[in-house]
Amino acid sequence: MDNYRKRRLIEIDTFITEILSFSENYPELAVHITTVFRWIFVVLAAYILLISIVSLLSTRATPEIWGYFMVEDGGNYPITHWENVIGRSRSTDIRIPLRTISNNQALLIRRSEDKWMIKDLGSMNGTKVNGFRLDPEKRYIINPGDRIEMGGTVSTITPPSLEETRNNRFMRRLDKEPVAPWKILLAITAFQVMTMVQLVLSMGTDITASALISIVVLMIVMWAYVMIFNTMGRRGFEMEMIAFFLSTINLAVTASSDPSAVAKELVAILMGLALMIFMCVYMRDISRLRKIKPVLIGLSVVALIINLVFGTAKYGATNWIKIGESGSIQPSELVKLAFILIGAGTLEELYDKRNTIVYAAFSLFCLGCLALMSDFGTALIFFATYLVVSFLRSGDFSRFVLTGVAAGAMGLIVLKFKPYIASRFDAWGHVWEPQFMDDLGYQQTRTMSFGAGGGLLGLGAGNGSLKYVGASNTDLVFGFVMEEWGFIIAVLAVLCIATLSVFAVMHIVAGRSTIYTILACSAATMFLVQTMLNVFGAIDLFPLTGVTFPFVSTGGTSLMTSWAMLAYFKAADMRRDASLAVRKED
Amino acid sequence: MRKQERRAWICLLLVVALLSGIGLFTYRFIKSGGEWATFYGNSQIYTDGVINRGTITDRYGEELLQCTPDGFNYSSDYETRVATVHAVGDPYGNVSDGAISSFKSQLIGYDILNGTYDTTANGKKIALTIDANANRTAYEALAGRTGAVGVYNWKTGEIVCMVSTPTFDPAYDPEASADGDSSYFFNNFIDGLLTPGSTFKLVTSAAVIDNMDDREAFRFECDGTNQVNEREDSSLSDVIVHGEVNFREALAKSCNGAFGALTREVGAKTMAKYAEKAGLTEPVEIDGIKTAAGSFDFPDDNEVKLSWAGIGQADDLVNPCAMMVYMGAIANGGEPVQPTLIRSATFLKELTGGKSLGRYLDSDTAAELKDMMKYNVTENYGEWNFEGMDMYAKSGTAEAGSDSPDAWFVGFTDDADAPYAFVVWVKGGGFGSEVAAPIAARVIRSLGTAEE
Repeated sequence: MDNYRKRRLIEIDTFITEILSFSENYPELAVHITTVFRWIFVVLAAYILLISIVSLLSTRATPEIWGYFMVEDGGNYPITHWENVIGRSRSTDIRIPLRTISNNQALLIRRSEDKWMIKDLGSMNGTKVNGFRLDPEKRYIINPGDRIEMGGTVSTITPPSLEETRNNRFMRRLDKEPVAPWKILLAITAFQVMTMVQLVLSMGTDITASALISIVVLMIVMWAYVMIFNTMGRRGFEMEMIAFFLSTINLAVTASSDPSAVAKELVAILMGLALMIFMCVYMRDISRLRKIKPVLIGLSVVALIINLVFGTAKYGATNWIKIGESGSIQPSELVKLAFILIGAGTLEELYDKRNTIVYAAFSLFCLGCLALMSDFGTALIFFATYLVVSFLRSGDFSRFVLTGVAAGAMGLIVLKFKPYIASRFDAWGHVWEPQFMDDLGYQQTRTMSFGAGGGLLGLGAGNGSLKYVGASNTDLVFGFVMEEWGFIIAVLAVLCIATLSVFAVMHIVAGRSTIYTILACSAATMFLVQTMLNVFGAIDLFPLTGVTFPFVSTGGTSLMTSWAMLAYFKAADMRRDASLAVRKED
Repeated sequence: MRKQERRAWICLLLVVALLSGIGLFTYRFIKSGGEWATFYGNSQIYTDGVINRGTITDRYGEELLQCTPDGFNYSSDYETRVATVHAVGDPYGNVSDGAISSFKSQLIGYDILNGTYDTTANGKKIALTIDANANRTAYEALAGRTGAVGVYNWKTGEIVCMVSTPTFDPAYDPEASADGDSSYFFNNFIDGLLTPGSTFKLVTSAAVIDNMDDREAFRFECDGTNQVNEREDSSLSDVIVHGEVNFREALAKSCNGAFGALTREVGAKTMAKYAEKAGLTEPVEIDGIKTAAGSFDFPDDNEVKLSWAGIGQADDLVNPCAMMVYMGAIANGGEPVQPTLIRSATFLKELTGGKSLGRYLDSDTAAELKDMMKYNVTENYGEWNFEGMDMYAKSGTAEAGSDSPDAWFVGFTDDADAPYAFVVWVKGGGFGSEVAAPIAARVIRSLGTAEE
């Protein structure tokens, strides 16, 4: 029996070796297969990504109607958000153009079915409900039918009638549905299978079984994810399809450069996916989000301090913490998730100066820590996100504080990084000049040279040579993808990131709360800035800062964070029953 | 919430920034992708900094160089190697305009669709337009002297012979075979700037034809000395006393006195204009390789120097390739064809001719010059030296500072199957018609003889 087993094992081993040595035994056939595959890869990628992109950008949700705001002798306004500003200004959600009404008179917030809250925003003439004068900065529960007096007019909230609700639902049903995921799933599966074949052809016995198995697991998880949530009635999967596709490229890039690390990447994807699902479900309830914020601030502060104390340096930045023998994580990547959430707020929070100060202080702390870690790239990402978020948040006072803090933080960063930045800036824009091309511009010239060598179609996964250059699968991954997968797929990957952002912006008109709007916009900012720094740094449009390309760069923490960040985009998806982050409609 | 909704457009600004950057990069990728991919840092196509794929042949497929990951394989024949090295180039880039460096991306087989992807990893085969056999003949005919021979088909533009000496054997360490003397790497035909001597009288003649309607009446009494404003200038003297010559005879006998007078008649400004019209002051472009550009000085306040400049001395400097193209212009009715070194789409090229460089001369002017160049051959050089060829030419003997003058012979043949314009220059060779003319005849005769 034991002998039989041994023989079987040897047989299996021989069989596998035989498969892996295919290209050694039939070199010409192997080359011809790659030649054909290169075309199919590009066609499949274009199909997968363009279908997803078009679906994301061509479907738009009709806003839901939560009630009506009836002004006596003034009109009947549909309430399309959970959070509304009532006032005279053009930028209010419910505009009453009367001189006696303040620009921003009051906040009207929906708590749950037929439960509303009102808050006076310190208006000139005050707000009264059923004759009771509201204390500014205090919330009051009101019911449909209550008399709301503002500047001499009387208004009431009425719930939408059954017929109107039905009409609204009908309208939303008429919205173009998100594309069905099945064909895309099949295409990605084909892409994954072909990637495995290609890796075997190009790398032969250098490819590890764990690398190939990781791709198979990713494929199975992808199908399971879509099937489970489809059964639960969810319809929109384009963002996940994009993420699964980019993750496949990630595994292929990792397999080509470091086959033993592929399994780790898979684990990061699975953890990121789980985190994303958890976050989606968790974020459905706004009050939970508000409560978790202080906890996240605490955790982030602790994580960054631990990083500062125990961090190890990698490529100049001390942003890693070693765990055990071979493991390491990048706390600043995880803090990104918290940073976005802490910056976001409900409309009510945005009118709360304390909330703004807390956010500014937290931002300053994060930037300071990143400065101390010499992680210039991540600091820039945080700073850009901070700027966008502070712009999204309203108020003159806030802007004043925010700009001051921004300038101060910027000054700190520049001071801290002065010698380091200076040398990077020397080569910037001049990497092809003889004194830089083999020195400070080494990585950029190699990125462009090997990248261009890939042409439009690429040399085939595993066939590249950029992998022998340092940081090729992280900082220079754009060039890596260009060389092995071709210019078209590399640019499509960038378009995916751009699409997620455009989608987020397009869908906020149907948003329920500013918290979701800001979450999606800051996640979009982070992805965009990160992609710009990564891609433009590698191709000498920016100085090389050493940040990762979302989803594509090798690196567990960054990959996991990219997946989790997807939850913020999902939360902005207001298409009917599309998103896992929004409760199903009846 | 409307405020926040409106402000969200700021994210779109970032999208625009990202897409603009990608757009800019796409433009650069299309424009410079070939350059990037062929950069020596690309280890896909370079082994130890030396290109590892591609084959270069002559126009008949004779293999001149094969690049492999194990190094370079040059032709096994020594003479072929030394006679073609300036056209082919050397692995270390000592020859700056060699095919290896100038046609790198074609050799590698880079194209924007496939990049450097190559199913065989052998690269591409480039056929040069040169005839290796003619190159060998030219190398032999130069017989160890410093010189340059260039021949091109003035209808198709194909350079069929290009040899520069001194030369070296690229199969061995070039530094050693060149004895550390960089002139071995220098291609006189492409990069040379030389005193043209009497060959320049073909430019002066063009100016005379266009600007002197009474040129038929021109007479000059050549007594072996030369008069400028009644004052004798012995430096302009001819060695031979030509007697009374007209314009035509002045060119055939290459009478310096007569051409000095003609130059003064035409004037400095017109001379400068004609040197430019003849294409001698601009670089010639050969498939991206640029030749050196000649330069002239025609002073309008110094008649002696002006006269000298008019006969191809003084500060006159021409590039041999540009001179060859000027011959092509005369041969082709005033419109020269751009020279090329890569053989491609020959069928169409032979049918339609090569790419025109525009009009250098009026067709009447070209016809008259052609006629005079024929007269040079029949009167002076002797038709029997060019048996079987319809030869039109001008010799030159340029004083360029060395003991013996440089010998020149430039011109063209006008045979249906052999339309060749040529330039031959031999440093310190002596009299052009005696030294350079036989080399031209021998090289043209050898063209195509190796063809199966």
